[in-house]
Amino acid sequence: MVNYGGDEVSALVIDIGTSSVRAGYAGDDTPKAVIPTTFGYHKAPLDPDSAMPDVADPTQPRPGKFAKMYMGQYGPSVWRDGMEVSNPLNEGLIHDFEPVSALMRHAIVDVMRCNPSEHPILVTEPAWNTPANRERMAEIMFEEFQVPAFYIANTGVLNAFAAGKGSALVIDVGQTMASVTPIVDGFVLRKGLVYSTLPKLVHAHAHHMLAAPNPQRRGIDLYPHQLISNKMPVEMGAPPRFTLREDRVKGTTASWRAWYEAREVDEWIQSVAGVLEQGWNDQVAASRPPRQYEFPTGYNSWFAQERFLVGEQLFHHSSQMLASNPTLPKHIPALITESLRACDPELRQVLVGNVVLTGGGSLFAGFGDRLSAELARSFPHVKIHSPGNPVERRYGGWLGGSVLGSLGTFHQLWISKEEWMEHGKMIVGQRCK
Amino acid sequence: MSSGVAVNPECLDQYNALKLKKASKYIIFKINDDNTEIVVEKKSDSQNYEDFLNDLPETACRWAVYDLEFEKEGAGKRNKICFFSWSPDDAKIKAKMVFASSKDALRRSLVGIATEIQGTDSSEVAYEVVLDKASRGA
Repeated sequence: MVNYGGDEVSALVIDIGTSSVRAGYAGDDTPKAVIPTTFGYHKAPLDPDSAMPDVADPTQPRPGKFAKMYMGQYGPSVWRDGMEVSNPLNEGLIHDFEPVSALMRHAIVDVMRCNPSEHPILVTEPAWNTPANRERMAEIMFEEFQVPAFYIANTGVLNAFAAGKGSALVIDVGQTMASVTPIVDGFVLRKGLVYSTLPKLVHAHAHHMLAAPNPQRRGIDLYPHQLISNKMPVEMGAPPRFTLREDRVKGTTASWRAWYEAREVDEWIQSVAGVLEQGWNDQVAASRPPRQYEFPTGYNSWFAQERFLVGEQLFHHSSQMLASNPTLPKHIPALITESLRACDPELRQVLVGNVVLTGGGSLFAGFGDRLSAELARSFPHVKIHSPGNPVERRYGGWLGGSVLGSLGTFHQLWISKEEWMEHGKMIVGQRCK
Repeated sequence: MSSGVAVNPECLDQYNALKLKKASKYIIFKINDDNTEIVVEKKSDSQNYEDFLNDLPETACRWAVYDLEFEKEGAGKRNKICFFSWSPDDAKIKAKMVFASSKDALRRSLVGIATEIQGTDSSEVAYEVVLDKASRGA
């Protein structure tokens, strides 16, 4: 039994997001293992013999949905014949626990070379996580990983604490979800919690803009580099000259292709796209210098105004778009307004004076400036805390968990294995508030 | 959620002395070096608000209580005890995190606080800002 009473707790912290699973030692300033949450797999063959598991032989791996899984650095990004990819998260919540436990095992055992049964583990959860989900997570930790102690903490609260604030309005923009969480004295105000799949919309917009032909250029092929056998340098804007790897095209699955195309689009967004600081203005957008970008096919071009159109989706939707699609995810100002409206009027000023910006999606060029311009229109005193260091922004939730888990005094909050055995699932809801 | 850091009984004694006997003007609290307990760092009876601000370090977190005395127009003198959470942007993440998650323990043990102020830079703890906040509820 590990003694976790002293300051040397050596706890592990795991933060599961849509884009990556972050795992590391509590007390560190960066996670040791950052692996993609998306994993590759080959489907289990529908062979009637293998479908009947041999119960008598426990050494055989349990047959799951997947015949073989590919995770981590050499996982989904490596091309394999017939490999499908999948992501166990949907709207920030885990909907399939089987690959999640495999991903956590990969991060802890294969990357960190750690034995999970020797360390207390702190897991983070989004504020809209369901009680059933966190209980399932506790069950996996205690029953499968045999951890000595476990705790599950809210990413919104951890981000607020990491910024040194007990009360704050946490704006978290991830890969698929954007959320606004009001935190007061270390607790989430449930009624003010709002979230939408806004980053997905921005991504889809960028994808459409690149792939669809327009008067200036034809549609851009988003072939990943794994499918290209050779390419020639071409003039800017000229059609690309490249040869596909015919041997690979046939074995490429639609899911892998879609996932990699999405990565190409993300890459483009991260290096080229931006958002105007003071709201949309054609002249300002035209006066900004264009940026060059080259795709894996060798096609390269300058992107001028259109790179700002992408970012604009985060803050403004045209009335035409709203009319044609009633289920459009809410943009950031709408989320903030809705969140504040649900809060007590006296709290609103406190919250906008303590805005914490976090999540990898918030690193979008110009995001912080635009947000402060938007907020300054409606509130007299706005202060946005946005760490300049990208690591602090992307792994904010993990970092908060890392600090909390490293405190010796935090030990009375851990759920120990004995307590789990005695009280069962009930204790998770009681202890982790 | 809290960090489980305990409050040293001296904090409460000093606070009660400030509240009931006006023994001091302000008290500054901090967390001891091994992050286990909240202790009194300093108490002072200086009437100058600047002295108080100078006692808030630029790169470290603190809590403070300040006995604010002011004149309310046409309603005479008022005394309000203000609670400050001082957590400058330049402080270490770990310090900020521990202070934010331990605040509740201290705050709850101090009875009779009128106003709470969260400060990350000097503009947020300036005298006018604090006075405005305290006098609003007077």
